[in-house]
Amino acid sequence: MQRYDIAIIGSGPAGLSAAINAKIRNKNIIIFGYEDFSSKLIKAPKINNYLGFHGISGLELKEKFKEHIEAMNIEITYERVNNIYAMGEYFSIMVNETIYEAKSVVVATGIEYTKPLKGEEEFLGKGVGYCATCDAPLYRNKIVTVIGYNKEAEEEANYVSELASKLYYIPMYKSNYELRDGIEIVQDKPMDIIGKDRVEKLILSSRQLETDGLFILKDSISPAQLVPGLLMEEGHIKVDRTMKTNIEGCFAAGDCIGRPYQYIKASGEGLIAALSAVSYVDSKRI
Amino acid sequence: MMKEIMDSNFKEEVQNQSGVVVVDFWASWCGPCKMLSPVIEELSNEMTIAKFTKVNVDENPQSSQNFNIASIPTLLVFKDGKVVDTMVGFRPKAELEQLVKKYI
Ligand SMILES: Cc1cc2nc3c(=O)[nH]c(=O)nc-3n(C[C@H](O)[C@H](O)[C@H](O)COP(=O)(O)OP(=O)(O)OC[C@H]3O[C@@H](n4cnc5c(N)ncnc54)[C@H](O)[C@@H]3O)c2cc1C
Repeated sequence: MQRYDIAIIGSGPAGLSAAINAKIRNKNIIIFGYEDFSSKLIKAPKINNYLGFHGISGLELKEKFKEHIEAMNIEITYERVNNIYAMGEYFSIMVNETIYEAKSVVVATGIEYTKPLKGEEEFLGKGVGYCATCDAPLYRNKIVTVIGYNKEAEEEANYVSELASKLYYIPMYKSNYELRDGIEIVQDKPMDIIGKDRVEKLILSSRQLETDGLFILKDSISPAQLVPGLLMEEGHIKVDRTMKTNIEGCFAAGDCIGRPYQYIKASGEGLIAALSAVSYVDSKRI
Repeated sequence: MMKEIMDSNFKEEVQNQSGVVVVDFWASWCGPCKMLSPVIEELSNEMTIAKFTKVNVDENPQSSQNFNIASIPTLLVFKDGKVVDTMVGFRPKAELEQLVKKYI
């Protein structure tokens, strides 16, 4: 398997700026993101604070970014990264069935993650989990609740229901639910998770469910879930002046490291993160 | 080297031991467990002052039940036979080292 010098997670202004600067320094990079780059970019009606582009729309700025990265032969890998594991000398980047490897990582995922439920963090690993298929066998013949934020969660719920004695499914979206017979759909708003040493009950706005396990399956994941062991501070990734995180070889830039949430701040930080990653990779070369 | 522990010898190998024993609860179908294994293995070779062990939860349901394992990977740190710390999910080596060092 080829090992990249730098893997950049996210294709907003922070990630793109990191990519061009790493490329200028001749590093072998991979960048993950979306065809539109960033939904926050294409949504902006008028941007007046990006130096050099007065009165530009988000869509126009996106086209400028596109021209720039194409001129530099940077290709975006249109995939969502699920997990990044710090293995010591390198990072393993999990993308569905594929694993990529990189010597260093720049996290530039923006900020969109929903707030955790009350009790979610307290009971993590004590009944609360984020991967139903991973932990399903531990809930054989037990009561399990799945809070699903998207259609994919239905598949996980179906799988777990084969083992669990009872499965409640709480959809956080509207759709035709393709769920196995026997799964009880609960249309209600989750409020609070309670228990002593481990999860005992989920409190909803108009009912309570006794449950042994609770899986919360969301679209977006917080950076600490994306990179296990990453240190956060007040909802943002903690970094120093060089965009270094607490994990050696892992850097971060953009909205995910803190306010203000602005394009040019994100791009500037992407530049710093890339240069720090470049020095890190160079210092490791034997 | 990490020693494989079974339900049958858990007591003898972990609870009846003095000093620090680390137990990694894992299973072959668990992705994060697979990533964590080589990291702990490396640490076990460096920190010979602690004993590092692993328990396959599929083959040893009793031990995982006794210690309320609800998610894997889970690491339990035992000191003189008692659980003194728990860590759930993958963690980088530096953090694992910090965790074990606290009890030495
Ligand atoms: C309507 C609107 C108007 C705005 N107007 C202005 C303005 O006029 N001026 C200004 O300075 N700022 C403005 N902003 C703020 C600006 O959009 C943000 O500060 C900026 O986009 C942050 O850039 P970023 O690169 O940090 O993150 P983002 O732009 O959020 O990009 C992050 C990208 O990473 C992707 N990603 C996340 N997780 C993963 C993963 N696991 N795998 C792969 N990809 C992933 C995301 O989907 C996203 O595409 C506006 C925002 C909005 C919503």
